[in-house]
Amino acid sequence: MRRLLAILASVVTIVVGIITIGDLTIGLPFSNGGVAAVFLRLAVITLAFLIVAGVLNLLIVHIGRIAGRERGFPYSIILLISAFAVIALWLAERTDINTILLNSVQVSIESSLAALVLFALVYGAYRLLHRRLSWAGGLFILTVCIMLVAALPLTEIGVLTDVRNWFMTVPVSAGAHGILLGIALATIVTGVRILVGQDRSYRE
Amino acid sequence: METTLAYLTIAIVLATLLINTIATQIARARRDSVILRNIRAYATMPQYIGESLETDRPVHFSFGSLTPGGVTAPLTLANAETFTLLATRTTYGTNTPLLTTSEVATLPIGYDILRRAYRTQGRLNQFQIGAVQWYPDGARSLAFAAALTATMADRRTGSNILLGGFGSELALILDAATRRGQRAIAASDQLDGQAVAYAMSDELLIGEEMFVGGAYLGGRAAQTGAVVALDTLRVLLILTLGFLALDQLLQGALLTQLARVLNVGGGG
Repeated sequence: MRRLLAILASVVTIVVGIITIGDLTIGLPFSNGGVAAVFLRLAVITLAFLIVAGVLNLLIVHIGRIAGRERGFPYSIILLISAFAVIALWLAERTDINTILLNSVQVSIESSLAALVLFALVYGAYRLLHRRLSWAGGLFILTVCIMLVAALPLTEIGVLTDVRNWFMTVPVSAGAHGILLGIALATIVTGVRILVGQDRSYRE
Repeated sequence: METTLAYLTIAIVLATLLINTIATQIARARRDSVILRNIRAYATMPQYIGESLETDRPVHFSFGSLTPGGVTAPLTLANAETFTLLATRTTYGTNTPLLTTSEVATLPIGYDILRRAYRTQGRLNQFQIGAVQWYPDGARSLAFAAALTATMADRRTGSNILLGGFGSELALILDAATRRGQRAIAASDQLDGQAVAYAMSDELLIGEEMFVGGAYLGGRAAQTGAVVALDTLRVLLILTLGFLALDQLLQGALLTQLARVLNVGGGG
């Protein structure tokens, strides 16, 4: 039975995949983009329904933590109270309070965390020298130092600013394009494997 | 879609399909002769899992902001394969692994990974529904990073394998792991996240290396074939880029010559 379901899943994936790619690129004679649009809309609707699963997951996880008195369970209590309060305020059509809560609590906390990212990064770069002392690691640290110093608003370091600009436009841009091209190639290969049913992840 | 672009897209897909099919057949026929290049991160992952099992601590997998409903769908499925292979090894322990995501659409995939891992080992009754956790919301979420650092501390994870969509907030997660003596391997499809992972992760995975976990950890012929196909396409891309760069240096002489040759060939 499981094998039959796996074959069915593969057939559905292959058929839907080929129709969608054909319809999106050359436009199939009987649909001209219409069938692909329907498939894509179905995917969007399915994904939208998953938000219910997400809320259920949140409740199950945190109620479980509270019930089991797991480490850090008071945070789960705060999380559940906040979640129910936001839902209650939304039902009472008091979205203005939700907006105030979002702006004054969440945005402030996220901003302070964003500020911490810099320190975590600098510490991480420092640790890199301890852990992997290689020419690539050294070059990475040197580049980080140049970038940080050149970002200072000082007129005396104009040369460094030029170096920084060169770094950004030539090696950084080239490296970024290289990584993105690699990801794009791998995406195509994986996509084709899914399309021909070689990928096992959805059929077991 | 514009006609030229449409045909080019189909040509690329068909060429990839052809190369992938040939590579898979080669990998099937000459299994021992296909040697994958060494990627230390994949060699280290089972070791980290072993250490976590020995110290009786759970392993943490995270997709970040990857979602199966967009351009990141192939990476989501590739990482799902990697996580499944790794999660299967963790099922011998007493702790259920932890799987986190910031995209609700990835939640069913997360459940499927852990259920499949436990089912493979015949221990489905050990699977805990709370092992898959969703922390909203979306890409570059500092709230997600904050929640993850807290969860990693509360669950006392032994090692963290973070493959997916992360921005610079990954620095907070990796910093928290370091401070608590937890192992961490991270890679991201976003450039800023990848830069952070390079500096702070215990082992490196860059760009397309994230897609090949199945071949390195599973080793089926189809997976190995995909790696060979990817390497072949990479060589072809490098050659094409080299040709175009040379043509640019020669002010378009190469392309003009090529067009003339093709034209002559077509006329003849």
